[in-house]
Amino acid sequence: MIYLDTPEYFDLEVTVNGQRHKHRVPTHLRLLDFLRDTLDLTGAKETCGEGECGACTVFLDGQTVNSCLVLAVETHGSEIITIEGLSQGGTLSDLQQAFIDEHGVQCGYCTPGIVLSATQLLREEKHPTRERIRFELAGNICRCTGYQKIFSAVANAACKHREV
Amino acid sequence: MTSTTQYIGKPFKNVDAEDKLTGATKYITDMRFDNMAWAYPIFSTVPFGAVRQIDLKAARSVPGYIDVILAERIPGENQVGVIVEDQPLLAGKTVRFIGDVIGIAVAETAAAAHRIAKLVEITYTEYEPYFSIAESESATSQFIHETNIACSHRILKGDPAAAFRKSDLIVEAEFSTGSQEHFYLEPQGCVAFPEKDGQIVVMGSLQCPYYVQKAVARALGRPLDGVRVIQAPTGGAFGGKEDVPSELGARVALAASLINRPVKMIYKRSDDIQITSKRHAFSMRYKVGVMRDGTLQAAEITLQSNAGAYATLSSVVSYRSTMQSMGPYVVPNIRVNSTAYYTNLPPAGAFRGFGSPQVAFGHERMMDLIADRLDMDPVRLRLKNVLKVDAKTITGQQLSASVGAEETIRQACRISSWETNQATGSTDGRYRYGQGIAASIYGNCLGAAGWHMDGAGVNISIQRDGTVKVAFGLAEMGQGALTVVAQMTAEALGIDHRRVVVLLTDTNSVPDSGPSVASRNVVMTGNAIRDAASKLLPILKAAAAELLGCGADDVTIGSDLATDSKTGTEVGFAELADYLYRGNQPTEMRGWWHVPQLDFDPDTGQGEAYFTYSYATHVARVQVDTLTGQVQVRGVWAAHDAGTVINPAGLEGQVEGGVAQATGWALTENILVDRGQIITSNLSTYLLPTALDAPPVETVAVEDPDPRGPWGAKGVGEPAFIPAAPAIANAISNALGVEVYELPLTPPKVLQLLEEQEPTAGMP
Ligand code: FES
Ligand code: FES
Repeated sequence: MIYLDTPEYFDLEVTVNGQRHKHRVPTHLRLLDFLRDTLDLTGAKETCGEGECGACTVFLDGQTVNSCLVLAVETHGSEIITIEGLSQGGTLSDLQQAFIDEHGVQCGYCTPGIVLSATQLLREEKHPTRERIRFELAGNICRCTGYQKIFSAVANAACKHREV
Repeated sequence: MTSTTQYIGKPFKNVDAEDKLTGATKYITDMRFDNMAWAYPIFSTVPFGAVRQIDLKAARSVPGYIDVILAERIPGENQVGVIVEDQPLLAGKTVRFIGDVIGIAVAETAAAAHRIAKLVEITYTEYEPYFSIAESESATSQFIHETNIACSHRILKGDPAAAFRKSDLIVEAEFSTGSQEHFYLEPQGCVAFPEKDGQIVVMGSLQCPYYVQKAVARALGRPLDGVRVIQAPTGGAFGGKEDVPSELGARVALAASLINRPVKMIYKRSDDIQITSKRHAFSMRYKVGVMRDGTLQAAEITLQSNAGAYATLSSVVSYRSTMQSMGPYVVPNIRVNSTAYYTNLPPAGAFRGFGSPQVAFGHERMMDLIADRLDMDPVRLRLKNVLKVDAKTITGQQLSASVGAEETIRQACRISSWETNQATGSTDGRYRYGQGIAASIYGNCLGAAGWHMDGAGVNISIQRDGTVKVAFGLAEMGQGALTVVAQMTAEALGIDHRRVVVLLTDTNSVPDSGPSVASRNVVMTGNAIRDAASKLLPILKAAAAELLGCGADDVTIGSDLATDSKTGTEVGFAELADYLYRGNQPTEMRGWWHVPQLDFDPDTGQGEAYFTYSYATHVARVQVDTLTGQVQVRGVWAAHDAGTVINPAGLEGQVEGGVAQATGWALTENILVDRGQIITSNLSTYLLPTALDAPPVETVAVEDPDPRGPWGAKGVGEPAFIPAAPAIANAISNALGVEVYELPLTPPKVLQLLEEQEPTAGMP
């Protein structure tokens, strides 16, 4: 959150989780704050605010970004998916279910970001190796789990892909 | 042990995972309250000095300004010290570290509150600060408090001087370990709101609700029942939310009561790192006398820790490190002196292990040094001296049961194929490989130093529809407390786990159950659940007997049914619950358990230091890059005696997480300070283990049930951390063929070690 005495404003139009939004926002507003404070979508978390932890990860036009490093105005005309939009209709994705089955969640603060990063990985690569999973999740910090059960969750969800 | 149980010992899925996976869980930062204002701490920018003047002119001009609250407006006591009364809630005259909170900025928005806090102009008279233990120790005047010593502890057992004379070999070494930042992903945060009835409610990310309740009541000058503390879902704590939330809670409560609106305060990461407590850095001197066959005879140990500006939990950290300073080994003659020194750094407080990881580095490096000098296998040396049933600890406590230490050493060796992997100094171009082992001990619960608050309760309430609500007094902070509580309740009442709803802690529902620390949840809450169940089961049986037309003694309860054991007729739990209500029977019972009374003499450090102990041994394998000094931990094999394991999935999760944190402490997490200012104030400079750094872990449970634990269980949360760093250090030493005496072993330090080793590089 940045403080400016005399901010400038911009009329932002953006689609979030399939819904169109129009808001007058300060030009210095970060995407993370727009989602959390303006839209009350609090699944994306702020942990470092400097692009190192991945807790604020969201999809911006199909690619994961750290929303603490993106200005809201940069997303004008774009499509954003947050963790709240991943399981719409109340059914968990295979990946989310795999996190439950494999015990991949502890405090949960890193979880939305990790789920989105892993979703991105599974879109790119249906059956990633454990090495690839480790590598692709290196931008998401988890302080609780030691990551091993998170890797298992992603691998387990990838297995389900095979059955489809 | 587990064969007759329905839930205990079976992997159990986390009850709160789904909401965390969909983003539905509302942490404190995510909660909104009507008419809410924001607060932010105004803190000292000098490490040690007197406040001369505070100028609010610029601050007041910030749009959205509501208030700046200074010490004189505290209606109650300006004191937030948990054990020692040395810490003001708002520093009035003296500031003792960069981050010492002087006032509270209150504004309409978070950004405005930050801005106000920045613009408050404070002028100081600065004093010469103390940063290191040595500086603090040598001070002769201008102490940080009345003295620079925060606390001290000792052990004297047998006749160390005589035993050293009889020893065949005496080994001496000095060690040091660095501090560590918790870096819970969710920063510290609290909200307070005044209720219409005058009660003030505090919600927050915290692990000790009753500490916060006491701190708020004290600052506001109110009775305890005027303050209610509700735990919000907590995004990691690791000890870091033990002492600190009392400060935040009391500060937001003060602001909320003065402006009569809800007030929220969330720390920014860099401030969180600068202001809040961390792991104690230790300096240690070990001298150990041993016989030629490896039998430990005598030890003399001096522990010094850097307590920072306020004592917070230093006295209990120092107590624990003293009592565990020789690990899981028998040492008949020993003297230990432990002192914590005040310095002008952020306070050191509670961090997973609570002084144990530091001394584990000391005693486990010593064991390797001794094995080396005796030319003895390090595993054999450990097995020769390890504690067993009927043996006496260094506090003279005879262990009566559940001493799985030896078995953890054997199992860790077995699963890691220790024997066949003797990789000493093996080389592969620029890489060197090695393995190390470390064993550890962990006293369960608070021990003799904290016995006066080592009780905990639950409140189990059967609803008319057959659901069962459980309130408990300890906190879920990611470690899976809600899950094991559900599991143990279902087991104790013989019901389907899906009936059980476990509530987050609320001081209105359960009496003061002490802090959620010391890995005490399973033991304390589990025993309290059994106590409550022992009161509910006779009521359920009597009702079932009426329904089934049999004697109460014939009723068995289990698998969600009450069954007449003679005829086999059954009634379901839901029907039974409804029947209880229709008969106006009691359906809610409280359970309570406290740690057995401990007989301990603080003057000699002799007696029952803790009521029981958990044990663990880790084997680590490392690859050291001789070009960059980087160490990759290739694997950790962990054997834990935590008594009966309640939730094997939870155990593994704790061990893997603990090992990863210990890997960071051992290798990369290096807090750099420049005249009291932490310069590693965020993730780009303070390096946590990523997915590429955390090692794969294989965990095995050595289940040596403790008769005093629920279903035989002991604690595991902290033991998961303790032996990993010394095992890694021993592995690095093994890989490079040089001794290591300090942590963290960052790449530059490893390169330095390599240089030391060069002259002897040609030796076999
Ligand atoms: S908060 Fe955006 S990367 Fe950490
Ligand atoms: S589960 Fe706590 S940070 Fe990942």
